[in-house]
Amino acid sequence: MKRRRFLNLLLTILGLTAVGSFVYPLVRFLAPAGGKAEAKQITLKKSEIPVGTAKEIPLNNTPAIIINRPDKGFVALSRVCTHLGCLVEYDKIRNRLICPCHGALFDLEGNVVSGPPPKPLPKFPIKVESESILIG
Amino acid sequence: MRYILPLLLILILPPASQADWKEQFEKEFLARPWAGPQVPQDVCIECHSSDMMKPEARDIPRKWETSWHYQNGISCHNCHGGDPKDAENAMSPQRGFVGTPKYAQVPEFCGKCHVGILKNFLESGHGKALKSSGKGPNCVTCHSAHDNRKASINIINEQLCTKCHPYERVKVMKQALFVTENKMNEIDKSLKELKTEGVFTEEEEKNFFSTQAQFRTLFHTEDVSLVRRQTDEFVNKLDQVKVKIQKTFEELRFRRDFSAFLMMLFVGMAIGFWVLSKNPKE
Amino acid sequence: MWGKIKNWLEIRIGLDGLMKTHLTEYRVPKNINILYTLGFVALVFFSIQVITGFFLLVYYIPYSEMAFKSVQDIMGTVPYGWLFRQMHVVGSSLMVVVVLFHAIAVFFMGGYKKPRELTWIVGTFMLLITITFCLSGYLLPWSQLSYWATTIATTLPTAFPYAGEIVAKLMKGSEQVSGITLNRFFALHVMLLPLIISVLVGLHIFLVRRIGISSPPFGKSPEAEKPWTEYRHVSHPDGYSFFPDFVLKETIMVMVFCAVMFFFITFLPTLLLPEEANIPADPFKTPAHIKPEWYFLAPYQMLKIIPNKFLGISLQMIIVLLFILWPFLDTAEENNLLKRPRLRWLFFVSLILWMVFTIWGKYS
Repeated sequence: MKRRRFLNLLLTILGLTAVGSFVYPLVRFLAPAGGKAEAKQITLKKSEIPVGTAKEIPLNNTPAIIINRPDKGFVALSRVCTHLGCLVEYDKIRNRLICPCHGALFDLEGNVVSGPPPKPLPKFPIKVESESILIG
Repeated sequence: MRYILPLLLILILPPASQADWKEQFEKEFLARPWAGPQVPQDVCIECHSSDMMKPEARDIPRKWETSWHYQNGISCHNCHGGDPKDAENAMSPQRGFVGTPKYAQVPEFCGKCHVGILKNFLESGHGKALKSSGKGPNCVTCHSAHDNRKASINIINEQLCTKCHPYERVKVMKQALFVTENKMNEIDKSLKELKTEGVFTEEEEKNFFSTQAQFRTLFHTEDVSLVRRQTDEFVNKLDQVKVKIQKTFEELRFRRDFSAFLMMLFVGMAIGFWVLSKNPKE
Repeated sequence: MWGKIKNWLEIRIGLDGLMKTHLTEYRVPKNINILYTLGFVALVFFSIQVITGFFLLVYYIPYSEMAFKSVQDIMGTVPYGWLFRQMHVVGSSLMVVVVLFHAIAVFFMGGYKKPRELTWIVGTFMLLITITFCLSGYLLPWSQLSYWATTIATTLPTAFPYAGEIVAKLMKGSEQVSGITLNRFFALHVMLLPLIISVLVGLHIFLVRRIGISSPPFGKSPEAEKPWTEYRHVSHPDGYSFFPDFVLKETIMVMVFCAVMFFFITFLPTLLLPEEANIPADPFKTPAHIKPEWYFLAPYQMLKIIPNKFLGISLQMIIVLLFILWPFLDTAEENNLLKRPRLRWLFFVSLILWMVFTIWGKYS
C-alpha cells in the first residue's frame, strides 16, 4: 500500500511539473510584447533638408535616408540594400539610390531600377506638417 | 476477388499499349527540375567550349565554373553584354555586347557593378598610375578575370606585389588590415555554424556583409592611415555582431536543455506509471 | 466536497451509471496487448497537433510575402515559439508513425474482420486525411523545402491522363505553386480537414465502442464460435476493467511517445528542418536535393522506377483501393495471422518492401 501511495505522490509531482513546464512557456508565448517592440518616432525640421538633398539618420536601429524630392516631396527609405545588405547612397544628379557593392539602382520610391536586388527598399511611414516631418 | 482481374486489365492495357512509354516518362518526369541539376541555356558557353575555339579560349568557360561569380549566378553576359539565349545575336552590339576591355579600361569594366570599389581604386596610387601611364595594376592583376575567388587578405602577398615594387609598404598595409580580417573570418565561421543548427541568420548576414564590403573597399585605397583610423570603428561593429551571435548560441543551448528537461519528465512519468501498473490495488 | 459535486451530477445525469458502463465496469479482453493502446496514442497526438497548431496560428500570417518571416519570428522572436513549432513539426511525423503502427497492428490481429469492416474503412480514410494534413501543412512555412516538395507532390497527379491535369490544377489554383496555393492549403489545413477528421474520429470511436473491443486472435477467440447473423455487443466479462487498468497502459504509451518526441526536439532539432527549410521560397531556383517528406518517399520512389507514368500512378491507386477494401477481400474466418502462412508472408513482404522503398527514396 505504501508503495502505491509513494508512486501516486511522485507521479502527481511529475505531472504538475510537466503541466507547469508547458503553462509557463504558454503564458510567455501569448503575453503581449514589451515596450521594446514599439517603434520610436523621429521628428525633423523641414529646413534641415533642402529640396533635392537627403539626410541619413538611424531609424529603429536601421540606417535610413530621408530624401526631399523636387517633384514628390519627402520620402523615408531604408538604406539596407535588399540584395546582400550594403548601404545605398543618394546620387543627386541621376535621382537614384546606388549601392556601391554591386551597382544596384533604386529609384526615389525605393523600387529596383536595375541590378541584383530582389525586392524594393522598405519605406517608413512619414507625416509632413507645416514646419516639421514625423517619421516612424 | 473476381473483380480484381478485369480491373487490373482495364488499368494496365492502355499504358502498356504505348510503345514509347520509357522515353515519355523520362521526358516528363525525370527531366523535371527536381530530378537533377538544372542546366540553364547559355549559347556563350556552348560555343566557347566547343572545338571551334582556340585551346586558350576553350579554357575560359571551365575556369569560370570554378569562380565565385559562377557560384553567385553571374555569367558571361553580365559583364560582357550580349544575348545568352540567341546564338545569332549573342555578340551583337545592339544586344549590349562590349567584348574584351582594353588593359587600362578594365577598372570601368568591373566597376559597372563594383561601383564603390572603382571609386576607391581610381583615387589610389595604383589607379592613378594606371590612368596616367597605362602601366600599373588593374583588377585582373590581383583578381583573375574568369576564375576569380572570394576576396581574402591573402591576395596581398609578397610574390604578387614585388612584381612592381618592394614589399615593405605592403607589409604595413597588410598588418593594418590583419586584425579586422581575422575577426571577420571568425564571424563568418560562426554564422555558418548557426545555419547548420537551423537558425535563420539573414539579418545578421546582411549586417555582416555590409560591414565586410565596406572594409574590403578600404583594401583598394592603399591609405594606411585611413585604414588605421577606421579599424576601431570596424572592430566595434564586428564586436557587436559577435555579441549577437554569442547570444544566439546561448539561446540554442537553453532550448536543448529545456527540451531535455521535458524529455526526462516524460521518461520519469512513463517509468512511474509502469511501476504503478505492476503494483495493482488489491 | 468531491462527494457533494458527484452527488449533484448524479441526480441530474446519472453519473454513477455512466462511470460504471463506460469506465469501471467496461471490460477489455484478458489477453489484450500493448498494441491496443496505439489508437488512443494517435488521438492524443492529434490533440497535440490541434493545440500547438492553434498557438502557431496566433502568430502565423498566411500571405506568401509574410508567411516565411512569420514562421521565423515564431522560431526566433516570440518567447518559446520554437517549442510549439518543434512540437508541431516533430509531432506531425510522430503522429504518422503512430497511425501507421496502429494500422499495422490492427491488420496483424485481424481486427478488420466481420463485424468490424466499417471501423477499418473509416480508419483508412482517417489515415488518408492525416497524410493530406501533412501535405497541406508542409507548404505553410513557405520555405524552399515547402515550395519545391509541394511542387512535386501537386505535379504527381498529372501522371493520370486528363483527370490528373484537372486535379493538379485544382490543387495548385494556378499554373505553378503560388500564393493562391498557399491560401487554399491553409484553408484546407486549418478548417476543412480538422472538421472532417473530427467527424471520422467520432465515428471511429463510436464504432469501436458499439461493436465492442476485439480479442487478440492468439489463443481462444470465443467470437468466432458463433456466426454473425444479427447484432450483438462483444463484451469480455472476465477481462480487465477499462478504468483504471487499461487507461494506465494507455497513459504509459502516451508518456513513452511524448518522451520520444522530446528526444528528437532535444538531440535532432534539424532532422526535419534541413537547411532548405530556412531559406525563403524562390520559384526560380530549385535546391539541389529536394525530396518529399519521409512518409511520401515510398510512393515517390515507386513512381520513379516504374517506366510508365500512368502505370505507376494507377498501381498506387490500386494499392490504396486494396488497402481500403481489404476486409472485403479477406473474408476468411480465421483471425490468427500465425495460422495463415500466405497472408503472413504477404504482410511481411509488403512491410519490408515499403521500408526498402522509403530508404531507397531517401538515398537515390
